[in-house]
Amino acid sequence: MPRVFVNERIPASAVWLAETTFERGHTYLVEATSGGGKSSMCAYIYGARTDYEGRILFDADDTSRFSMDRWLELRRRNLAYLPQELSLFGELSAIENIRLKNRLTGHATERQIEEWMERLGIASRRDHPAGRMSIGQQQRVAIIRSICQPFDFILLDEPVSHLDAENNRIAAELIGEEARRQGAGIISTSVGNHLMLDYDVRHKL
Amino acid sequence: MISKILRKNTSAAQMAGFVLSNFIGLVIVLGGMQFFLDARSIWSDSDSIINTDYLVINKKVTSAGLMSAGNTRFTEEEIARLGEQPWVRSIGRFTSNDYRVMARVEQGGRGMSTYMFFEAIPDEFVDVPRSQWAYQPGSDEVPIIMSKDYLTLYNFGFASSAGLPQMSEGLMSSIPLTLELSSEDGSRRRTVHGRVAGFSNRLNTILVPEAFMEATNREFGSQAGAPGAPDAGQGATRLIIDVSRPGDTAISAYLSEHDWEQAGDKSAAGAAFLLRVVVGIVLAIGTVITILSLLILLLSISLIMERNRAKLHSLLMLGYPAGMVARPYASLAVAVPAIALVLSVGSAIALRAWYITPLEGLGATPAGVWEMILTGVALAGIVCGVNLLTIRRRVRGAFR
Repeated sequence: MPRVFVNERIPASAVWLAETTFERGHTYLVEATSGGGKSSMCAYIYGARTDYEGRILFDADDTSRFSMDRWLELRRRNLAYLPQELSLFGELSAIENIRLKNRLTGHATERQIEEWMERLGIASRRDHPAGRMSIGQQQRVAIIRSICQPFDFILLDEPVSHLDAENNRIAAELIGEEARRQGAGIISTSVGNHLMLDYDVRHKL
Repeated sequence: MISKILRKNTSAAQMAGFVLSNFIGLVIVLGGMQFFLDARSIWSDSDSIINTDYLVINKKVTSAGLMSAGNTRFTEEEIARLGEQPWVRSIGRFTSNDYRVMARVEQGGRGMSTYMFFEAIPDEFVDVPRSQWAYQPGSDEVPIIMSKDYLTLYNFGFASSAGLPQMSEGLMSSIPLTLELSSEDGSRRRTVHGRVAGFSNRLNTILVPEAFMEATNREFGSQAGAPGAPDAGQGATRLIIDVSRPGDTAISAYLSEHDWEQAGDKSAAGAAFLLRVVVGIVLAIGTVITILSLLILLLSISLIMERNRAKLHSLLMLGYPAGMVARPYASLAVAVPAIALVLSVGSAIALRAWYITPLEGLGATPAGVWEMILTGVALAGIVCGVNLLTIRRRVRGAFR
């Protein structure tokens, strides 16, 4: 079972300067004020940044020693991530952005993707360039993209900050379904508007 | 889809520019190199017997020389001073025969005989394998190096007017040459067989091994020392010098200052030196252009990757393997030098086809094109390698 420890120097919290474990099959909500370091935490766990003190362990392996190739493989097979800034390619259409990830992992079928888009109400924007969609629509494209892969954990950095309650509910449903199917853990961050899931553990950052 | 994202900042015109600059550099290097390899033989192959670094010098024969025979001899002092010149590596003296020589050729029942002379220079100046240039004292056979001019004179002057067959170098070498040596008063005589070991167009003489000359001069030479015989202390009329820089102006300056002249084909050494200098300059220019074009390509790829750094980073964030992300750039980095290589090798071969006939007319034996092609492949390979390393570094740089 994957366990993750995070230590850092900034304000006292459940994660920084403490020992925290995240386990597969559970859902975690990490709440924080703006600037509290949610995105940093996600980036550290995802191997995108290394400016931290302390140790992050996946099972017993210290991630600071992982090579680039190991991280890239983890990102294809074990770790899903929805960054706050979404990182969609503006010049590609909604479906192309999703395919960009799905072709790499071969995880979801084309029909499955269409169905997800249908449920999140962006099927009609399928071939629009992502750059010309509203932030809310982009967020839904990014949510679908993030679940187009096998994962042990999915890191969601403020996943529903631009969604209404109905879309929030549907997004939670999709992510929850996919995580349950894979027996994976969910780590979601929020500054207030959080993904509507039944959380096993709530951390204050 | 990846190419669509990552190649956004590259244009076909830009790529054509890279190919062109790379091509210009390579074609100058490869064309220059091929020309050098082909043309080199004009000077180096035409005389394998006497190295182009060797000069033969003698004093000018003036009308005053008629009055006192022997003033065309180099004195010991002159030779010693010449030896002190910085461009002189070593000096060899010509020695000539101090007895009579009658040569006879038997050919198809017809005989021909003539008075002849010999000269000898130290063996170190003769680039003929030792086994072919050795003379065993007392042996009946002696190797000879003849001036090519004599053969030309025979073939085009004498043979055609006298109705005799023309002879190739090979044929000439296979004809037995009988040499009758006798002392001035005719009291001692001996017959030896001459074997033509080679032809030279840099020496206007008939050369025999120094050992043979010494032995026969001792055996048949007149005690008094006939004019032309280089007894000890009397110096020689001709000198062969091994020079360090054949084209050096200091040499011609020194010679004209002493009123001496350079024998044989004077231009060859200078021309070979000049060819080397000119080709050196051309190769240097080509190399500089090649390096510059490599740098431009490298900088451009770096710049494009820098501009696309955010996209590279996003793709790596999605878990794209480094190789897949690098591929669009790597294919450019390999395709540009590869296309330039094919074009430049083709152009160098076309250029060669254009100059090869006139060059062969000048007496060159063309070299193969493989050395040039291999050099081109090696250069293009280095360019590709450096590019790929840079791309790899850039991809790694975009990871975090």
